[in-house]
Amino acid sequence: MKDLMRIKCLISQDIETLLNQQIKKEAHSSSLYLSMASWCNQNGYDFSSDYFTKQSEEERMHQLKLFKYVLDMGGNAISPEVTGIKTDFAGFREVFEDALEAEIAITQSFKNLASRCLKEQDFVTMEFLNWFLKEQREEEYKARRALELFEVIGEEGTGRWEIDKHVNDITYSED
Amino acid sequence: MEKACIDINQLINVFSNYEGAVYQSDKLNCFYVDFGGKFARYNCLSLQKLKKVVEEINIEALLLDTHRADFELVTFNGCEHIYLLNALEIIALKDLLHGTFTMFNLNHMVNDCLYRLVY
Repeated sequence: MKDLMRIKCLISQDIETLLNQQIKKEAHSSSLYLSMASWCNQNGYDFSSDYFTKQSEEERMHQLKLFKYVLDMGGNAISPEVTGIKTDFAGFREVFEDALEAEIAITQSFKNLASRCLKEQDFVTMEFLNWFLKEQREEEYKARRALELFEVIGEEGTGRWEIDKHVNDITYSED
Repeated sequence: MEKACIDINQLINVFSNYEGAVYQSDKLNCFYVDFGGKFARYNCLSLQKLKKVVEEINIEALLLDTHRADFELVTFNGCEHIYLLNALEIIALKDLLHGTFTMFNLNHMVNDCLYRLVY
């Protein structure tokens, strides 16, 4: 018997479902970062607002990359519905705490996806995911370093102003 | 499509239960679902859509809701077929499609192993 489903699509139904869930998570992250950018801007943290706007664009790019892969492999990519975005934050520090939490959740999700690929021996998708796993190193590093500025500089006096000024200086280098 | 138009001997029985059967045509690269008095042709995508639509039916809610009949219309956008099914028939169709996709997975595993050995 011909494997008609395989002829139509390279990835399995389970992998397709997980990739669509990941697309939704990336869309959620993108919206969350935009919400953070808005909060920072309204509260006078202009540099942080720029930082989160850039992060939002990156997450959107990740979403589209996953979307294209599902379509290229013959699957059904689903444009996600994004709801329940947090719009209010208790303080400047909480914004960065939430950002790190979101990145950790995304990393966990990619690990789950990679684990499924290995179980199914879907090395094609695994190779595709390697880019994202590498990217998460940078994303988590930046989010963690930003939060560490609160410990290093402190929030007293002009602390928050200093933190805001240095947020965009955080860069990740493998070397 | 009527059953009489198709040579049943050219079809492969993928899975069947007490209410119906799903066949595959390797020649035409399509499937035939024999269920609820219909012998309907589906391609890969539409069969996946049918499965999704059937899986999303909440049978418990269907039976407990006293404001509506215990029947459900099963179809989707672009589908040439429509089924009017009661709860028992929905359970049977769910079972049929679940079994069919399990057989697809099994067939995929066998094919995957064979291809790796041959090529």
